[in-house]
Amino acid sequence: MNWHEPAPGESEAGQRTWRVVREAFTERLPAPRKVNWRPLAAAAVGVALLAAAFTPPGHAVLGSIREAVQGEKNAKPALSSLPSPGTRLLVNSAQGAWVVQSDGSKRLLGGYSNSSWSPHGLYLAAVQGDELRAIEPNGTRRWSIGRAGRLLAPRWSYDGFRIAYFSGRALRVINGDSTGDRLLTRAVQIGVSAWQPGTHTLAYVNRRGDIQIVDVDRPARHAVVRTRIAPTQLHWTPDGRTLVAVGPHVIAVFGQRGGQLRRLDRGRAFVVAASVSPDGKSLAFVETEAGRSSLQLTGIAAGPTRELLPGAGRFTNVIWAPDGRWLLLDWHSADQWLFIRSVAVKKIIAVSNIRANFGAEPSLAGWCCP
Amino acid sequence: MAGSHGDERAWIRGAQQGSETDLESLFRHHWPRAYRAAYLVVHDSAAAEDIAQEAFLAAVRSLDRFDRRRPFGPWLHRIVVNRAIDWSRARALRREVGEGALAVVAASDRPENPQSQNLASALAELSPEHRAVIVLRHLLEYTPGEIAELLGLPRGTVNSRLRRGLDELAHQVEEDTR
Repeated sequence: MNWHEPAPGESEAGQRTWRVVREAFTERLPAPRKVNWRPLAAAAVGVALLAAAFTPPGHAVLGSIREAVQGEKNAKPALSSLPSPGTRLLVNSAQGAWVVQSDGSKRLLGGYSNSSWSPHGLYLAAVQGDELRAIEPNGTRRWSIGRAGRLLAPRWSYDGFRIAYFSGRALRVINGDSTGDRLLTRAVQIGVSAWQPGTHTLAYVNRRGDIQIVDVDRPARHAVVRTRIAPTQLHWTPDGRTLVAVGPHVIAVFGQRGGQLRRLDRGRAFVVAASVSPDGKSLAFVETEAGRSSLQLTGIAAGPTRELLPGAGRFTNVIWAPDGRWLLLDWHSADQWLFIRSVAVKKIIAVSNIRANFGAEPSLAGWCCP
Repeated sequence: MAGSHGDERAWIRGAQQGSETDLESLFRHHWPRAYRAAYLVVHDSAAAEDIAQEAFLAAVRSLDRFDRRRPFGPWLHRIVVNRAIDWSRARALRREVGEGALAVVAASDRPENPQSQNLASALAELSPEHRAVIVLRHLLEYTPGEIAELLGLPRGTVNSRLRRGLDELAHQVEEDTR
C-alpha cells in the first residue's frame, strides 16, 4: 500500500487553499493600509470640511462622517437626481415598483413587487398577484403569465432571452417573449439564483445548500459546487468567470471549474448584501454585528478588505452604479440612502425620508444600465 | 532536516510575528498529509479541499494563541479527521437518490496508479470511523495511543477498529484485484 502518493486534486487544491489561507493571514494582521486608512480618511474629511464651507455638496461629506452614528444630518429631504447621468433606479416598496430617472423624476407602477430590470432596462419583470409580467418602464404590459404558488425573484438572463423565477417551491424558466415556460427544478432553496453573463447558465442553491450550475436549455448539463457556507446570494462577475457566493458569515469566490479562489470569513458579523463592481474587480458588501453596520470593500480575487463606512443600526443593501463610479448604500435604520463616490469616498450625497418618498419597506432593486 | 520540530517551531514563531514566508512553509509542509487524510476519509475531492482548508483557516485564526512548544501536526490532524468523520456521517444520512450522478466540478481527476485507486476504493467501503483510524495510523503514522487521544476514544476501541478495518480493507483489495 502506498499512502504517500498524492490524492486526486491535491496540488490544485493546495494552490487554491494557499491563496485563501494567505488572504486570511493578511487580513488577520494589522495591515498597514488599514491603519493608514483612518488618517487618510480624516484628511479627506478635513479637505471636505473646507469644501463644505464653499460648496453645497461638500456638506454631505462632512455630515456623513461626523454623524455616522445617527445618520446624515445634512441629507437632502428627497432624491432630486441620480449622480450618474443617464441611469435609472428601480425600487420595490409596499406601494409597488418605482422607476426613478436620473433627473429625480419617478413613476410608480402600482401593485407590482419583486421587480427587476431587463439587461438594457427596456423592460421590467415583476410580479402582480399570481402573475409574472413583463412591463415597460412606463407601465405598459407586454405579457403576463399566471402561476400557482408565491411568485418571487424574477431574473433576466444577460441577453434578455430567458427569465428565471420562483413559483412556490419550484424554480422555473420562461423565454423573454413569454413562450416556453418550464419547470427547472424543485430541489432548490427559494429566492437565490444568478445568471452567468453571456450564457443561459443559471446558478442556484440546491436543497442541500450546494451551488448547482445548470444550462437551462440543456438541464442535463449541470455541475455542483459543494460548499458549506449556506449561500443567501449569488453574483457572477461580468466576464462570467467567477462566482461570488454570499453566506451569512462567509463570502466565497469560486472559479470556473468550481474551485474556491477566495474565502472571506467574517466571524460573527452577518453579511447582509453584496455587489460586484461593473469591472468585476471589486466586491462591496454590508455586514451587521451588535447593532452596528459597516460597508466594506475588497477585491474579488485578492486584496485587503477595508471598511468604507460604519454606522449605527442596519445597512440593508448596497449596489454599484452602472459606470462603477458610485455606490448606493441603503441605510435602513436612518431611513437614508447614501450615494458614495467611488471607493475613495471622495464625496457622499445623502438622501433622507426614503419611506415617505417611496412607501413602506423600500428596497433597492437595481441601478440601470450599462 | 526540513520539516523537523525545530523548523516547525521557527515557522510558527515567524508566522506569529507576521511572516508570510514562514506561514507558507508551514502550509506547504502540512498540506499534503492534511488533504490526503481528509480525502481518504471522505472520498470526495471538493469536500477534502473544503475540510483541509477550514482546518488551516482555523489555524490562522488561532495562531496568536498557539503554544509553540506543542507540535502543530496533531492539532491540525485532529481537526481534519474529526471534520472528515462528521462530513461522512452527515453525507450518509442525507444521501439522496440521484445525487450520486451529479458531477463535482472541482478537482475531478483520478489517481493514475491502479493500486492507489484500488486502495482508495477499498477504503471508501469502510465506515468513516474505520477509515479515520486507518488513515491516522498508516498515512499520518500515529501510534494507537496517539490516535486514541486525537479522537477522544479508549485505546482498546482504536485497536479493535484498526484490526477490523484492516481485515476489511485487505478483503476489499483482494476482491478488487481478483
